[in-house]
Amino acid sequence: MDTSVILDGLWTALQPANLLWLLLGAALGTIVGILPGLGAATGVAVLIPLTFGMEPVSALILMAAIYYGALFGGSRSSILINTPGDGSSIAATFDGYPMTKKGMAGQAMSIAAMASLIGGVMAIFGFIFLAIPLAKFALNFGPAEFLLLFLFALSAVVTLSQGNTIKGFLTMFLGLGISTIGVDLQSGVHRFTLGLPHLTDGINFIVIIIGIYAIGEVLYNLLKPQHSNKSDNEAIGSKWFTKEQWKRSLGPILRSGPIGFFLGVLPGSGGTIASLLAYSTEKQVSKRKDEFGKGAVEGLVAPESANSSAAVGSMIPMLTMGIPGSGTTAVMLGALVMIGVTPGPLLFENRPDMVWTLINSMFIGNLILVIINILMVGMLVKVLKTPPNVLYPIVLILSFLGAYTLGYSTIDFYILIIAGVIGLFMRMLNYPVVPLILALIVGGDMEQNFQRAMVVYDSPAAVLFASPITIVLAILTLLSLCYPLITKVFRRRKAVN
Amino acid sequence: MLKAFTYKWGVKMKRIFLLLIGCIILTGCLGKASGDSGAFPVKNIEIIAPASPGGGWDRTARSAQRAMNADGSVDQDITVINKPGGGGEVGWQYLMQQDSHAVALNSSLLTTGAILGQTELTYKDFTPLAMLSTEWLAVASKAGSGIDDANQLMDQLREDPKSLVIGVSPSLGSGNHLSFVQAAVESGVDPTELQFLVYSSGGDIMNALLGGHIDITSNSLSDLSEQYEAGEVDILAITAPERLDSFPNIPTWKEQGVDVEFPHWRGIMGPPGMSENEIAKWDEYLSSMVKTEEWQTDLDNNDLDNFYMDSKETLAFLEKQHDFFKDIVRESGLTP
Repeated sequence: MDTSVILDGLWTALQPANLLWLLLGAALGTIVGILPGLGAATGVAVLIPLTFGMEPVSALILMAAIYYGALFGGSRSSILINTPGDGSSIAATFDGYPMTKKGMAGQAMSIAAMASLIGGVMAIFGFIFLAIPLAKFALNFGPAEFLLLFLFALSAVVTLSQGNTIKGFLTMFLGLGISTIGVDLQSGVHRFTLGLPHLTDGINFIVIIIGIYAIGEVLYNLLKPQHSNKSDNEAIGSKWFTKEQWKRSLGPILRSGPIGFFLGVLPGSGGTIASLLAYSTEKQVSKRKDEFGKGAVEGLVAPESANSSAAVGSMIPMLTMGIPGSGTTAVMLGALVMIGVTPGPLLFENRPDMVWTLINSMFIGNLILVIINILMVGMLVKVLKTPPNVLYPIVLILSFLGAYTLGYSTIDFYILIIAGVIGLFMRMLNYPVVPLILALIVGGDMEQNFQRAMVVYDSPAAVLFASPITIVLAILTLLSLCYPLITKVFRRRKAVN
Repeated sequence: MLKAFTYKWGVKMKRIFLLLIGCIILTGCLGKASGDSGAFPVKNIEIIAPASPGGGWDRTARSAQRAMNADGSVDQDITVINKPGGGGEVGWQYLMQQDSHAVALNSSLLTTGAILGQTELTYKDFTPLAMLSTEWLAVASKAGSGIDDANQLMDQLREDPKSLVIGVSPSLGSGNHLSFVQAAVESGVDPTELQFLVYSSGGDIMNALLGGHIDITSNSLSDLSEQYEAGEVDILAITAPERLDSFPNIPTWKEQGVDVEFPHWRGIMGPPGMSENEIAKWDEYLSSMVKTEEWQTDLDNNDLDNFYMDSKETLAFLEKQHDFFKDIVRESGLTP
């Protein structure tokens, strides 16, 4: 590898104009990430007209900064008010919000930012050394491989709701059911669209996420005023994480980075699966299993590290093959084509300056974001001191606003409210939400890949044995399903001994 | 006393409310009146992209906005709004309710939607204003797959229609799908026997093609060109009437003896019932816009060809396209 290109890239990235775009993108991304519904894709999309007059390199820097900035910001609202902004910050609610309840909001946010930084930097190194071979490997994922990958993700997540596996399966099926709404690609048949054109593309899972979490949370607290957690919120704790927390976090962060990176490279799977799988992996290998879900710092840093590195990973297929792996990179690809840059196999040969400038700027951007986010901790924890009669209306307004920007349709308001009521009941009856959300996110793709696999392969067994990848994934799926059983047996043995 | 107070306020509120309603009705009337009296445009021009930001329709809408601004013939502000959903239908339904200051992008989906029974809207419900640009569709295989030219491909499919898997996006009944159906019919292959796999985007298709999960794709040239130039895919035929200047080595269907010419056009239309005067104005704006350098550059960057037609030509063209699609959809076996 030619170091002079790398240094040239660093030099270009450090040009004042590019640094300014980077700063602007990072700040904007953080804000967009904090607001529910306004994800990175929307953030990049609204800026497309602005990029028209820009240098292609600057445009790429700006868009990438918004992307990973939004992921840094995304976990803020998960940690503070138990409301994830989009799919990839769901896992941050599992242990992030319990930490807040314990009065450790400041520590949770600062260590989450560190986890994002390290995950991001790991992925940038991965990008430098592995971009092209990994993009080639990802091509091996066809219908059979994707089907089994999604099955594995679902099984790993359903078994997360330990002791509650039946409820987990029930909500998973509900999610799969909702994901069938819309036009079936393979046959063109309209399913459950009620004659509404808006529903032909299916229900946007982010609307459901906002509904279940934000609206559900508000309704729950309104109906149970005696459960007002105001007293919990008085203590916000120190801004800085402790040495002990850091020691506990390092392992999970380093383990989750590669998981996120690899899942990011695979087209279509993205940050949600990456962060959820990182969480479930960490829970299974941790010595402190019982603390998970009750504010274990490992359970917060693992998904944060994974989704940050997944964002960097998802830029690989976009830049090296011209194939977007996520909604955000699809929008970025469109914008790049508009300004006359066609990402693809020739980009690395024709414009190495651009690629290396981007990589260097991602590195600087991650550092800037940690500083921004840690500086903001003091300001953000004030949210917790906001009385509910002020906070909840704001949450409601932001939720409706966010839902509208996703599809520019008022039909999403009804979906939002219905999801909110579902969320309320799930909370009251203690049903796990995550299997529903994940099923909703992967359900559509999983079904389409199932249908495609049925055309390509002769029998279901042939799908299982289609390639080494499918065999490994099938074994992993089986293991994760049996995992609760295995641990039970072990525990019983221990008890007997 | 409290009662009197609330009563008083009630009356006041009622009056304010009535006043507001009056204002709204009045402005509504004014808007209509000015539409008839010849002064046009009197307010912002709105270009509706019936898709999300970043997609093809959105890019065309923003190119048009940029080129019209550069051209300077419109002295009102021009805005682009996105109304995604239902393969364009959400945006077109929205256009129905607007006055003549709003226009929307369209494509062959406007004609095929009704033929496929997915919608009741057709081009007859609107005021066609112009054709803008077209992309040409191409059939491609992975480099080194052993399928080297279009005739060999069709021979193999005639012998065994199920021997190859064909990937199309974004739906059955799309231009990508129907252009292949037309080529199959012209080559004596039964299109109802073919194995199509549907993917949601051109990017997914490329992934599947390079990974060997599909054998053939029918896709827009812009989605294929980068990998073609890198030597990763072979393009067997293109639906243009003659070879393109930018890709002189890609053969057309016609020169290989298959009578296929299939533009995947994008046009622009206004709400129903626009006046002669307004249509004339749009003809003026758009004919001048397509000559700008900005428009040309955007066409080149997106692998698009100029396809401009004025409002009259567009209407005639749409009538012909409607008949053409009716036939081809019937052949494809998609009609219920």
